[in-house]
Amino acid sequence: MEENEAVLLERCRAGDKDAFGPIVKKYAGRASGTACLLLGCPDEAGDASQEAFVRAWRNISRFDTRSPFYPWYSAILRNVCKSRLRRRARRRTVALTEGHRDSSSDTDPVFLAERNERRDALWHSVMKLSAPFREIILMKHFQDMSYKEIAAALGIPIGTVMSRLHSARRALRETLAGEGS
Amino acid sequence: MSCNDFDRMASAYLDGELADEERRRFEEHLATCDACKTELAELKRLTEDLNMMRFKEPGDEELQRYWSGVYNRLERGIGWILLSVGAILTLCYGAFKIIEEMIRDPAISVILKVGVCALIAGLVVLFVSLLRERLVVRKVDRYSREVER
Repeated sequence: MEENEAVLLERCRAGDKDAFGPIVKKYAGRASGTACLLLGCPDEAGDASQEAFVRAWRNISRFDTRSPFYPWYSAILRNVCKSRLRRRARRRTVALTEGHRDSSSDTDPVFLAERNERRDALWHSVMKLSAPFREIILMKHFQDMSYKEIAAALGIPIGTVMSRLHSARRALRETLAGEGS
Repeated sequence: MSCNDFDRMASAYLDGELADEERRRFEEHLATCDACKTELAELKRLTEDLNMMRFKEPGDEELQRYWSGVYNRLERGIGWILLSVGAILTLCYGAFKIIEEMIRDPAISVILKVGVCALIAGLVVLFVSLLRERLVVRKVDRYSREVER
């Protein structure tokens, strides 16, 4: 961790809200993109990632400033997104019984850097994957985590990481092929 | 190694996650099977494309707006806590005064006094039970343990 960030986090632990600003700004892009992939929809991404920063602030006294901030924050964000997915699933059940349509189908790659046709198509395909597949693609390719780190974060064996990631990539290829045809 | 084993290990091979022995067996199969070679090339292209994807860094104005959103929530959080504490204290004081007046008033029937006391006692039991449940969930909840790391 950069020394500067460690100093800022120490100030945060002492209750200095202004020191939290640079931390939030440093990770805002990554956090929003991560939330977008975890939730499978860009509309809620900003709100969910902000909620996770608020939770991080409230629990900052439990954070060990010798460790990097982002993995700790990322675990909080993952839980915020999972709660929202659970709530959304409950709402969707109600909506379907009432004959409403799910409105969260917009998958515009607004959080993606250096866009081109191929990357946009890939993003759309990733967004069409199931939540566990999106999550493992995010961890491997956007967060550059090893199988061991993914296994620890998700609480699953390395063999499961291997098979889930491979299944996710296969599903992605099929979706891409389907879009291309 | 069969083509099925090959398929199962292909992602791990590309990610450099196979053990030496598995890797050697994988490469031996690769040298003899054209179908698997084609499959691996396609998977490799996809993996490389995915590795090139990055999240966009927002502009200064957007970042300022984002931080303002977080800051406002932090402030409102303190507001909600103070409001809740104030409401609980006021309600408790009000309830205490009502019970005190009611018990002293001989015009109010004993049944009504017992009913109101039971109602308030029930609310207290429910509140304490919910609070205890929340605290227990917090202790065993995976989220809370991750926060403590």
